Amino acid sequence: MSARRSKSSPTLNFKAVLLGEGCVGKTSLVLRYMEDRFNAQHLSTLQASFVTRKVSLEDGRKAQLNIWDTAGQERFHALGPIYYRGSDGALLVYDITDQDSFQKVKSWVRELRQMRGTKIALIIVGNKTDLSEQRAVAHEEALQYARTVGAQYVETSAKENEGVAELFDLLTHLMLEQLSQREPDASPLRLEHAGTDGLRSSDDSEVPDASDPAGQRSCCGI
Amino acid sequence: MSTAARPPSLRLGQQDLKCRMGCGFYGTPQNDGLCSKCYREKFHDKQRKLKQKAGETGPGPSSASLDRRSPQHGHNHGKTEQQQVRKEDLSGTLQKKKFTAVLQKTLQAGAQKITQQRGHVPDPTEDQFLLQLRQLRIPDDGKRKLKLEIQRLDTEIRKYMNGNGGKNINELSDLVQNAYTKVSDTVHNDPSFEIATNEDRDSAIDFFEKVVMTQNHKFLFSPYFTTDEDSDVKVQKRIRKLSWITAKHLDCSIDEVNSEARDLVYNAISELVGIDSYYSPQEKLQCTWRCCRHIFELLKRATGGPASADDFLPALIFVVLKANPVRLHSNINFVTRFTNAARVMSGESGYYFTNLCSAIAFIENLNGESLGISSEEFEALMSGQQAYSTPWESALLACESLHLISENMKRMEELQKRNALISSRITSFEMELIDFQREVTERVDTVIAKAPLNLLPIKTPAFLIGQARAHLLNESEAGHYQANVLSGGGGTLTSQSLTAVGGLAKPSIAPEDAGLSLKDTSMVSMGRLSPLQQNIQPADNLFASPIFNYTAFDSVSLLEEPSSSDVLMLGSEFHGGLTNINYDFDLSDQSGENSTADDSKLNLDEFDPLAQKGPVNQPPSALPETSLLDSTTDSLIDSEVPGTAVLLPSPLKPEVANYRGFSNFDIPSISCNTGDFSSLGQDGAEPPK
Repeated sequence: MSARRSKSSPTLNFKAVLLGEGCVGKTSLVLRYMEDRFNAQHLSTLQASFVTRKVSLEDGRKAQLNIWDTAGQERFHALGPIYYRGSDGALLVYDITDQDSFQKVKSWVRELRQMRGTKIALIIVGNKTDLSEQRAVAHEEALQYARTVGAQYVETSAKENEGVAELFDLLTHLMLEQLSQREPDASPLRLEHAGTDGLRSSDDSEVPDASDPAGQRSCCGI
Repeated sequence: MSTAARPPSLRLGQQDLKCRMGCGFYGTPQNDGLCSKCYREKFHDKQRKLKQKAGETGPGPSSASLDRRSPQHGHNHGKTEQQQVRKEDLSGTLQKKKFTAVLQKTLQAGAQKITQQRGHVPDPTEDQFLLQLRQLRIPDDGKRKLKLEIQRLDTEIRKYMNGNGGKNINELSDLVQNAYTKVSDTVHNDPSFEIATNEDRDSAIDFFEKVVMTQNHKFLFSPYFTTDEDSDVKVQKRIRKLSWITAKHLDCSIDEVNSEARDLVYNAISELVGIDSYYSPQEKLQCTWRCCRHIFELLKRATGGPASADDFLPALIFVVLKANPVRLHSNINFVTRFTNAARVMSGESGYYFTNLCSAIAFIENLNGESLGISSEEFEALMSGQQAYSTPWESALLACESLHLISENMKRMEELQKRNALISSRITSFEMELIDFQREVTERVDTVIAKAPLNLLPIKTPAFLIGQARAHLLNESEAGHYQANVLSGGGGTLTSQSLTAVGGLAKPSIAPEDAGLSLKDTSMVSMGRLSPLQQNIQPADNLFASPIFNYTAFDSVSLLEEPSSSDVLMLGSEFHGGLTNINYDFDLSDQSGENSTADDSKLNLDEFDPLAQKGPVNQPPSALPETSLLDSTTDSLIDSEVPGTAVLLPSPLKPEVANYRGFSNFDIPSISCNTGDFSSLGQDGAEPPK
């Protein structure tokens, strides 16, 4: 860390929420991500519900990536909005062998879009590709859905460590893009007030927003 | 309970979460189910209307035309109007009679009431803050700026609180949050912070928050114009009613009968309860952080791996239910409103805090289905018609509690005894000190009586004066040394009077003059000789000034003119005592030495009864380093790897026996803290079951 800088901007702070039903592999994804980056020191984490990583951005800046796990049980569903506040990104994880978990993802997407509008980068994650012979949600179906809501779609396997690092890189990238769009000078010290959370006025948030670049990008290259 | 009457799902519909005005934003119960914006609008509207009404009735039948009111006239009515408005407004929002009674009292007392609520925040913290400010590793220029900002926000908050206008907690929160943004902007972009590292800048920002919040805790924590207190009581009652909930209901993996787990649960509970005892949002967040760490530790032992949110949230809910912390909503709201959101809320503490908020939301809304029981059963358990535990279990729990009570009583007695012993020793020590002081004074008096201060005329050899005169005449540019010698010598020669005024003013006087001047009992000479006085004068203008030991933090003096009393000043009798001894010394013996002030200081130290115990005017930097900031830096800003601090689990899992307590039976559950009954009984509600 260079101690002498006339103008030092505080590190960028990104908050991403991790959503998904129980048993879809949220924890495994996070643990895999953390473990890979910290190969030298054996994973001795106490918890996998809040993880934070320092990442270097393309332009040389440093950013801190905070990933907030949320309880996936149905009984806690109503508490979601408490966690969404101020989040820059969301990972919506479902199990490709479980159609129900995919349906749950849809309800979260609706909620997130309603509360955070386009100020949040969404990535839908189909996990457990190692069990593809039991696949219940077709790749095209998920991809199609992701396009309609302006989200990215990624498939991973936490078990085989496929696409995990790429997933988080993509997340960081998207959140940075969101940020620079929102504020041209990308000041990370923004204040989130309860009342300032932008909201699409239309209730049907599944209509793709033309101004949303995420919707136009070709996704699923990973 | 209204929740049970709802359709079978706990899930709140989108409509429930939204603002009642239908603007599409989310509302909160604190704002009457409105979003903050609509609430504010409504609030102002209401206020305006009330003001108008008051304005119409104010001038009354005498004149119908409001515009003709002269400013003087309006001024006369201003105060009563405002009070009316506030009274009506508040009684509208707070439906509880109990609170309106209190509030009306508060309102009548007005601003004075607020400022008189002293003793809430300990004052010694000021010294600590001074010390911490000094320890911040930022340039002095930056410290000065930081201090200025602290002062500014402090004044602003007080101005707001003492103002007559209607108060809105959101406005106050915005005010503070804007100040945080501004400070952080200053710290990161101002040239006076140029050489500081990022970490030091961050700790400067944290310091700012901590000082302002601690000093204004009494104004900002659960202010009278909010409904915080109301919600506190509500949630406390609800938790008490839910005391039958066990870990099984919540589907969480806490093993209530395992004694190791019980210990950890109790650790978590005491941290959670401790939140209320801290003043600044930072410390409250740290407390939450420690509480959650205990829970994770617990879960790790129970499940064998790092816990995810799926395990964590139910466990946290369980702990909150069993802890039943006091002033829960007040604390939560205080942190939400006044913590430095930009710095903390996305980090680990923020995560835990958010979880705590959602745990409370869950508790407030839970019903039978969310606990996996039928709504009839839930209702029966809530109303107390059905006891959850069997009579045997209840008896066991009761026995256990009685045992605990008697144990604690014994311990208290022991502590009381010790306390009495300590205070008696303190008294005897005090007596000894007084005796010692008297003895010293007596001895000094006898010594003085034996050897009175005799001033002998100083005989300057005539040839020296002659030489000096000649020297002066030779050198037209005479330095002040020569001038002194001349005048001093001349003085003694001509009149032998004590015209040592010139010597007093100039430090480099001839020794003879110093000896003479000591006899002069004018204030000036006292001041020069007393070591106390010298030390009081702060060498460092940066820290001594009006900021900390000063007036703006002292709420009483807000209404008065700021007084310039120095906090560091010692008790007057001690101060006077030293100076009394001080100038009576015959220092003419030391005429061979120049630095009379230093010597007298040395001499005096021997007589200082307090010198043994520690220097009185020790520079603050030598004080024990109980820096509160030190502990904040590592936890509030997240450590890079949240989990590394944890021990690796031992491969051998020791079998932990179940907690058996005194009665040696398996205790089925952790009992819920039902809180202070006396405080809740006052409002005339139904007696808790």
